[in-house]
Amino acid sequence: MTNVEHSTSAPDAKAEVRRAVASLSEKAPNAGSTTSDLSIDEELNLHSIGWEPVQLVSGLSVFSTPAGLWRWGQGEIVAAGEAHEQAFKNAIRRLHSEAAMAGGHGVVGVHVERSVYSTHIEISLLGTAVRPVGAKAVDASVVFVSDLSARDFTMLMVAGWEPLGLATGASFVYAPRRTVGTVLQQQSQNVELKNFTEAMYSARETAMERMQRDALALRGSGVVEVKLIEGPMSFATHAVGFAVWGTVVQLAKDAHQFVRPMMVVSLNDVDEAFDPSALA
Amino acid sequence: MTPPSDLPEAAERRLSDGAFSSGLSVSDFAACLELGLEPLGLAQGFCAMQQGAYAMGGLSRSVSPYGGTQGGYVQNYQCPHGMISGEHRMWGQNYQQTWVESAWNEGFRSSYSRMLEEATQLGAHGVVGVVDSVSRLTDANVTEFHIWGTAVRVRDTPAATATPWSTYLAGQRLAKVFEAGYVPVSIVASVSSIRVWAYCVTEYLMEGSAGMWANSTAPTEIEQIVSAKSQVRSMVRASARNQLHGDALHGATLILGDREFAKGDLEVEAVLRGNRIRRYKDFDPLPVPQPTVRLS
Repeated sequence: MTNVEHSTSAPDAKAEVRRAVASLSEKAPNAGSTTSDLSIDEELNLHSIGWEPVQLVSGLSVFSTPAGLWRWGQGEIVAAGEAHEQAFKNAIRRLHSEAAMAGGHGVVGVHVERSVYSTHIEISLLGTAVRPVGAKAVDASVVFVSDLSARDFTMLMVAGWEPLGLATGASFVYAPRRTVGTVLQQQSQNVELKNFTEAMYSARETAMERMQRDALALRGSGVVEVKLIEGPMSFATHAVGFAVWGTVVQLAKDAHQFVRPMMVVSLNDVDEAFDPSALA
Repeated sequence: MTPPSDLPEAAERRLSDGAFSSGLSVSDFAACLELGLEPLGLAQGFCAMQQGAYAMGGLSRSVSPYGGTQGGYVQNYQCPHGMISGEHRMWGQNYQQTWVESAWNEGFRSSYSRMLEEATQLGAHGVVGVVDSVSRLTDANVTEFHIWGTAVRVRDTPAATATPWSTYLAGQRLAKVFEAGYVPVSIVASVSSIRVWAYCVTEYLMEGSAGMWANSTAPTEIEQIVSAKSQVRSMVRASARNQLHGDALHGATLILGDREFAKGDLEVEAVLRGNRIRRYKDFDPLPVPQPTVRLS
């Protein structure tokens, strides 16, 4: 408990709690219920810039991929990339329509759950729809979706930027087989396996390009908090996958608002320096 | 409005004995005292529930493919291919497992109200820092529900007469709830469960869409699965909203589980927990946060 937080709530905290608890004996408000998975800190952050949570929303899609897709082959495994892209698109579209229906102007803190199996790909999104306090509902087409936390969303808005949507890209590529001759030749050496390196590069390039295409389609100037997952598939180690996603942003005001941080010296050092293992 | 107590006698004796117990950490404890909340005791409730193993599930299924549900959400899928072989899945169904949900709800609510009963016995106004644990007791469809939290009294207020309020939060985070203009009402938990019997198209798509009966080899959305999983997410949220009566649900966590019992026989489940809170004063935003850099 830092002294800064203490001083903001301390003066009349007890009276405030008494007043709050006493109000429980009154009738519940007959308003529409809101739901959110935000922490109280995140909600306070949103409040500070005049936004509020509306409803917990989700979007999901499962796409099948052709049988035998992951067997040895050459180049990109096109159908897997397509299934990934379409599953992401449908999940986002459903998130948009749920958010718009709930009266949200955007969705923040979207958790992206992504499972790639040998026969199907599942994308599941969950987040909280938010809006400027009391604002009217807008059309699903202008609702934004962002995996930024409410805290990061607040900072982004304060700096004069706005989120536009999620951009994603994925690509799966076969690492070509080495010939028996090459395998034998390389067996006793320290050698780079160019087939794998090149497959990684190829998957990376295609996936990043697709994400960029998404960002441009949303008329964004960039993508922040890009997450990436790469590596061989657990069920097909001769195939490598690369997937990226992030929040597309653009400058909403005339210029970037520099948010000058305040320097603070924490007085908590002694506590933090305490190491229980030192007692042993 | 204290209900007739069915607490064990030893528990009644212990609870009336003076010294308090609490599940709070030292800093949460300090924050509670700062809010004028005085810990009275660690209130707990248990319930072990057995869920009817085949309650209307598999048994009646041999009579009619579309039988075996008990109300709630049902969606049927028909094979588009015509009679092909005995093994061909001519029909499929998604259905809400209402008996699974009611067993869960009953177990959760019983242990919750038992916890509140102990808190009431202690003269508590509320219960903070609630923790719940839902676990399988044995593998024979028995689930143990255990809910506990620290019963508190609000200092300098009249003795408690109403059912205690409750929240998963404690300490600083609880202080911030009041700061934001909310008062905790109760914890909220709901469950939703759907069984999926795949029909032929779903089966082939789950095996990869180039199955013998599929129309094309292009990636295709698996509609039956999407529908079941979307439905389970909507139902669990709707059932939580029904418990709010105009209040807000805050800090929700959604836990999703899939189980495949056999090929084409899936269960999808969702559990939603959160804090029901009520606004007691008008929206009063804090100043825009000031970013800080720590010099250490």
